[in-house]
Amino acid sequence: MTAKGCSHTWKMINVAYGHIITEKCSKCYIVSTYFSFEDRPPLEEHREGDHFWNVMESAQSFRFDFQCTRCSQIVHFDELMGLLMCTGCDKNCEAEKIQQSHEKERTWVYVAFGFLPIADHKQLSREQIAMLEDFFNQRRKSADSRIKIVSQELVPDFSLCYGAVIKDVNMLSLTPPEADDSQLIHYLGGKR
Amino acid sequence: MKLQKIVEDLKLQILTKMEDKDVQGVFISDLLSDVMTSANAGDLWLTVQTHHNIIAVANLVNVAAVVVTHGKKVPEETISLGKRYHVIILSTPNPIFDIAAKLNAIGLKSQ
Repeated sequence: MTAKGCSHTWKMINVAYGHIITEKCSKCYIVSTYFSFEDRPPLEEHREGDHFWNVMESAQSFRFDFQCTRCSQIVHFDELMGLLMCTGCDKNCEAEKIQQSHEKERTWVYVAFGFLPIADHKQLSREQIAMLEDFFNQRRKSADSRIKIVSQELVPDFSLCYGAVIKDVNMLSLTPPEADDSQLIHYLGGKR
Repeated sequence: MKLQKIVEDLKLQILTKMEDKDVQGVFISDLLSDVMTSANAGDLWLTVQTHHNIIAVANLVNVAAVVVTHGKKVPEETISLGKRYHVIILSTPNPIFDIAAKLNAIGLKSQ
């Protein structure tokens, strides 16, 4: 079957792990992000034109493409930096309004966002966002809930958004395990 | 296999609202990226992570439940988000290996 007219079923391919680096220019305070495939992401300050970039954060993440299992069409997602689950932090945010209107039917809103600064990077198209939504819904085995992916254009100010960004950073739990006598006894060779 | 049976057999503590779902497999990882790329809907996700971001991933992948092992204390923020998004969080003082062995013994495998 050709791509045209195919009701695509997507699978994730070309998964590549790496880091999302967030930098801030010490002169103009602009924030920039990019994806690094290096095992150890660069952390040192560096100059690029008029900018002096300082690393603010390095978060483990991954990149991927989609391939249709029916027609073999491949779609690249180089523009996608990540997904954020809307947690309803701003009643004036359009993403939150969509979440509110769909919550009763268990449809959960995620925001697909691109790299910063927005003006300097190509952003995800509506078609790509629709494909992401299809993929995560096709992956669900029950129909009792749905995923809705929306564009970052709906979020008025990302710096004020408290949504749950999916990335592996600051995940370390500093809370020690709760005391459990049975394990303590085990570690002591059966004696207290 | 029903989630309620697993909860009873393994003596897991329920931290959120409970719904009896079908569990189809087991996935073990502490990396959100791993879960997003490799876990399947209906999996029981075993982890030591307790950050509220686990809810975002569990909901997206549609896992049957998250089992926080090793007695890690789950923050109230994570529990509250789990309740809102109908993500079931279970906890156990036992290490992941022990829980995986018990799940294997009752017939659950990775999908």
